[in-house]
Amino acid sequence: MSPPAASRDERSAPWFDAAADGVLLARRCRSGHWSAPMLFFGGAVLACATCGDVDLEWAPTAGRGSLVTWTEVPGPDGGTMAAAVVELDEGPWVFGSLAVPADERVEGLRLVVGFERPGGGEPVPVFARPGAP
Amino acid sequence: MTPSGDAAHLSGAAAIAGLGFSAIGKVYGRGASGFAVDAARAAIADAGLGPEDVDGLIVSYGITPAYAQLPPALGMRDLRLNVNLNAAGATAAAAIQYAAMAVAGGLADCIVYVHADAPLHDPATRAGAAYGAAAARRSGGFTTVAGATGLPGANPHYALAARRHMLRYGTTAEQLGAVAVAQRAWAAGNPLARYRDPLTLEDHGAARLVADPFRLYDCCMVTNGAIAFVVTSAARAALLARPPVYIWGWGQGHPVYPMGRGSELGLRTGAAIAGPAAFKMAGITAGDVDQAQLYDCYTYTVIVTLEDYGFCEKGEGGPFAASGALARGGSLPTNTGGGQLSAYYLWGATPLSEAVIQARGDGGERQAPANDVILVSGNGGILDYHGTLIVSPHPRAA
Repeated sequence: MSPPAASRDERSAPWFDAAADGVLLARRCRSGHWSAPMLFFGGAVLACATCGDVDLEWAPTAGRGSLVTWTEVPGPDGGTMAAAVVELDEGPWVFGSLAVPADERVEGLRLVVGFERPGGGEPVPVFARPGAP
Repeated sequence: MTPSGDAAHLSGAAAIAGLGFSAIGKVYGRGASGFAVDAARAAIADAGLGPEDVDGLIVSYGITPAYAQLPPALGMRDLRLNVNLNAAGATAAAAIQYAAMAVAGGLADCIVYVHADAPLHDPATRAGAAYGAAAARRSGGFTTVAGATGLPGANPHYALAARRHMLRYGTTAEQLGAVAVAQRAWAAGNPLARYRDPLTLEDHGAARLVADPFRLYDCCMVTNGAIAFVVTSAARAALLARPPVYIWGWGQGHPVYPMGRGSELGLRTGAAIAGPAAFKMAGITAGDVDQAQLYDCYTYTVIVTLEDYGFCEKGEGGPFAASGALARGGSLPTNTGGGQLSAYYLWGATPLSEAVIQARGDGGERQAPANDVILVSGNGGILDYHGTLIVSPHPRAA
């Protein structure tokens, strides 16, 4: 049993393309405010939450942020999968896998994004400590 | 935002006059619509009425549509109100509010609200799979990232919120367990409850992991079935078959958390908005509440909701639960039927149904010592929706 694979649709295609190059995209309005794609709503960001601008573009983030909260769920082969909310330095919260040992997890821990392809699917974010192997 | 309207003149204007259940639990072979028909008929009969007396219908459902063909199946004609409603887990509280306002505003005189769901298709379907399958149908794109990163469905998202509460306030897994243990003890006295065997903190801590910090007994079950309520004016309710359950106060609160810096997700819920409005309308304070029927999709939800209503200080919900306050003999009997953790999971209709049973004094072996003022909550989405009702067996004093 392998983890469920991520798959693309029209809206997420540019995001997955950038992820394949190691870049984490988020939505940015003309005034420079950032929004994160919402997992539960198919990634739709209808308007900038800060100023209401409906003209949003995909823009590269620095891929760095701080640990907000985390969980761990049963994974394949009797193991567990850790996942987290990470506050990007640009402001938005993003979801991703968490590659930090349980005893090192603290609120505010500095993290950097990488990408993996669970189940051979599209690349998804995996957050780890900077410089971690 | 300061509430602009004064709802006090509607306090006690309407009442719940009927309560009805379909078969609930692991019951199969009947769709949500069928359960809805059974529950609505039972509620109308409970009130001592017939379908010809009903002129309004409000319907909600969980993850399975239920409203097709309901009015003709119920023998209703010439309805003056007929609407489908969805505010997730806050729907039941909202539906009673809208029904009470519709009665007060002359839209209809006697309204049935029914909530139905049938996510379980056969005995082999596990609860998680029933709801997980619904999530999987919303497939493609960013939704699939959730599954691939360990965040499928509601369990891990509430777990993220709960972990945040633990980090900020020091809430512990044992304190979450105190909620599960207290509610299981209440469930022992509820003939409708699915799980009635005693549960200990050790059982709670040893149960299988669902989504850290949640183990099995931190999470609600999944239930097939329906519950219906009849809402009419206080004056009319007083003439019907069962003791009226008067609607003293209401409020809603939907925080609209920013998905980014500054979000209070996990720390403060819509109860902090809805609660004060409901208390003001009812002319009471949190200290006047005799018992609480709180939306308990997870043990954590109960703890954070208690704080936001002011039953304890912010951050003290865990110690409050661990003190035994919620349990039999405690200062605030809470989820006295076992709630969605131990009895049945029909969204906001679960706490509301227990409030009606307790207000009527029909709780039998589990009847709480006092029932003069009962608080009911609904919560839905990932803490996105919240609704509050204050109900009482007593007419509101003029």
